[in-house]
Amino acid sequence: MSGLWLVAQREIITRGRTKAFVIGLVVSAVLVAALAFLPKLFSGPDSYTVGLVGGQSQALQPALTGPAKEMTIAVREFPDEAAASDAVNAGDVDAAVVDGRRVLADGEVDRELGLLLESAHQTVQTQRQLADAGLDAAKVAQAMRVTPLEQVSVGADARYASVRVGIASLLVMVLFFLLIYSSMYVAMGVIEEKGSRIVEILLTSIRPWQLLGGKILGLGTLALANLVVIILAGLGAAVATGFVAELPPGMTGIVISTLFWFILGYAFFAALAAALGSLVSRQEDANSVLTPMTMLMTITYLVAYFSAVQPGSAVARILSLVPPFSSMVMPVRMAGGEVLAWEIAVAAVLMLLATVGTLLLGARIYQRAVLRTGGRVKLTEVVR
Amino acid sequence: MIEINDLHKRYGDKTALDGVTFSVRPGEMFGFVGANGAGKTTTMRILMGVLTADSGSVLRDGRPLTFEDRRRFGYMPEERGLYQKMRVAEQVEYFGRLSGLTASGAKKATGDLLEQLSLTERANDTVDALSLGNQQRVQLAVALVHTPEVLVLDEPFSGLDPLAVDALAGVLAARCEAGVPVLFSSHQLDLVERLCHSVGIISAGRMVASGTVDDLRDREGRGRLRVVVRGASPGWAASLPGEVVENGDEALVSDVDGDGQDILHLAVKAGKVEHFGWQRPTLTEIFREAVA
Repeated sequence: MSGLWLVAQREIITRGRTKAFVIGLVVSAVLVAALAFLPKLFSGPDSYTVGLVGGQSQALQPALTGPAKEMTIAVREFPDEAAASDAVNAGDVDAAVVDGRRVLADGEVDRELGLLLESAHQTVQTQRQLADAGLDAAKVAQAMRVTPLEQVSVGADARYASVRVGIASLLVMVLFFLLIYSSMYVAMGVIEEKGSRIVEILLTSIRPWQLLGGKILGLGTLALANLVVIILAGLGAAVATGFVAELPPGMTGIVISTLFWFILGYAFFAALAAALGSLVSRQEDANSVLTPMTMLMTITYLVAYFSAVQPGSAVARILSLVPPFSSMVMPVRMAGGEVLAWEIAVAAVLMLLATVGTLLLGARIYQRAVLRTGGRVKLTEVVR
Repeated sequence: MIEINDLHKRYGDKTALDGVTFSVRPGEMFGFVGANGAGKTTTMRILMGVLTADSGSVLRDGRPLTFEDRRRFGYMPEERGLYQKMRVAEQVEYFGRLSGLTASGAKKATGDLLEQLSLTERANDTVDALSLGNQQRVQLAVALVHTPEVLVLDEPFSGLDPLAVDALAGVLAARCEAGVPVLFSSHQLDLVERLCHSVGIISAGRMVASGTVDDLRDREGRGRLRVVVRGASPGWAASLPGEVVENGDEALVSDVDGDGQDILHLAVKAGKVEHFGWQRPTLTEIFREAVA
C-alpha cells in the first residue's frame, strides 16, 4: 500500500508544482468567478434617479420610493421643465416627470422604469380623481390597498429556471475541462514512464496496480482540488455580487453531488486513458491512441450540454442513467432541476459498476502492455 | 550466487535467446559482452523480471527469484529512465523509498551517494538541466540508493567521459568488494577486461564463451607464439613449423603443437632472441574470434 501512496504523493508534488497546473488553477477560478458577475452585468441597473417638476409630479414621490420595491428610486426636484430636460440630456437623471402628465427621457424610457412610473401615476391619479368625486380619502386609500398577485407555477418549480440552466451549463464546461485535462495527464504520465523505461525500474520495486493506482489517485486529487477551488471561487463571487440570494435552494446538495459524480467520471476516464496510453511509447502517438477516449468524452460533453438546456427531456433522463454519460449528465440534471431519487440511485450504481469494471480492465491492459517495448501494442494482444 | 539456467526466448519466429546459461558469484564483477541484438538486454530484462522467458530459470542461491528478491536488486535499464522534470535529490530519494527505505534513510543514502558521485551541488536541479554524463550518474544513484544485494546494469558506461568512467568503476568496485554480485553489459571490451573478473560472450542468443578473464585469455592464447629475433635475415621464420606470419624481426606462429621448445631452438639459430612467449589475445580478439 505504501508504494501507492508514494506514487500518488510524487504525482501531486511534481505536477502541482508545474506552471501549467498553477496557471490552469488560477485561470479556471478567475473565469468562473467572472461568470458569476455576468448576470449582474446583463440585468441592467437596479437603481434609477427620477426628476420631478411641479406639484402634480411631487405627488408621485411616495408611490415611487415606497418600500418593498425591487429597485431603488432616488428623486430630484427641478424648478421647471427646461432644467429637468437639461438634466435628462446630461444623464443626471434617467427620466423626469413634468406636471404629472409627461415623461421626459433621453430616447425611450427604460422599460422597467417606465412600468414603475406608469403604475405610480395610475395610483396617484386614481386616488386624486376618487377624492375629487367626493369620496373619503382614508376609505379610498384603504380600498386601494391591493394584495399583489402571487406567482404559482403549475409546471416544475420555475422560479430559478434560468439560474439553474446557467449553473448547469457552467458545470458542464468545468467538468469537461477538468476531466479531459486530468485524464490527459494520466495518459501522458504513463507514456512518459513507458517511453523512458522508468517503468522497468519502478516495476522491479512496486506492483503495476500500485503504480497505476497511485498515478490515478494523485492526479485525481489535484483535479478535485482544482474543482473545489473553482466552486469556492464561483460561490465567493456570487456572495460578493449579492447574486447568492438568487441561487436556488439546495446548493450544498448540488456541490456535493458534483464532487461525487466528478470522482466517478474521473476514475472511469482516467483508467481508460491509462490503459490506452500504455499501448504506445511516444508522446507523439498519444493523440491517436487516445482518440476513442476523447471521442467518448466529447459525446458525453455534448449530451451533457444538451441536458443543461433541456434538463427535463427524455434524452437527458435516459442518458443520465447510462454510464459514462451519467457522470456528467446526472450532476447537470441535478443542478438544472428536480431529479427523482431512484434515478440518482440507479445512475450511481450503474456508473459505479462501470467505473470498477473499467479500472479492472484498464489495470489488466496496462499491466500487459506497459513493459512491451517497440511499436504500438495492439489492443487485441492484451485483452483476453 | 545468481544462476541463469538455459534461458530460451522467442519473439514471433525470431529466436532471441537460445539456451543462455551463466552465473555470477558474490563479490564477482561479471562483464556481459556481445554484438548488438545478441541477447544481452533480453537476458537482463528476464533476470529483472521485466520480461518472462519461454523456458529456463533464474536462481538465487538455488531457488527461483521472487519479486521480493528483485526489490533488493539495483537495476539500470538499457535506455535511461529518469523523470526529466524532477529534481535530482528528490528523484533518488523517491526510488529509495519505493524500494523500501524510510524517509530519513532514503534522504541519508541519497546525500551520501550524490557526494560519492560528485553531484551534491546539482542536487536541486531538475534532471533535464544536467549533461548526459551527469544524468548517467543520477541513474546509477537510483540503482544504488537502497544498497542493493545484487547489481544488474545494462550499458552503464556508454556515453561517459574517461573521468566519469573511473568514478563509476570505483563505485562498482566498492560494492563488489562488499560482496555484491555485479553484472553489467558493455561494448567497451578494454574496459570489461580491466574491470571484470569474469566475462560472458553472447552471440545470436547463445553463450559462446564464459569464465574468468585470465582463463579465457590463457585458453585462447594456447597455440600462438610471438617471437622477436633481432638481426635475422629476411625469410628467417619460413622454416618455423605451423602457420607463420613474418613481419621484419617479428613472427607470429599459430597452430603450435606441444610446448614450442622446437621453435625456440630454431629462433636462436636465426639470431638474437629478444622476445619469446605465448601470445595471450586481448578480450577484443577473443570476442572477434568467438563471434565470427
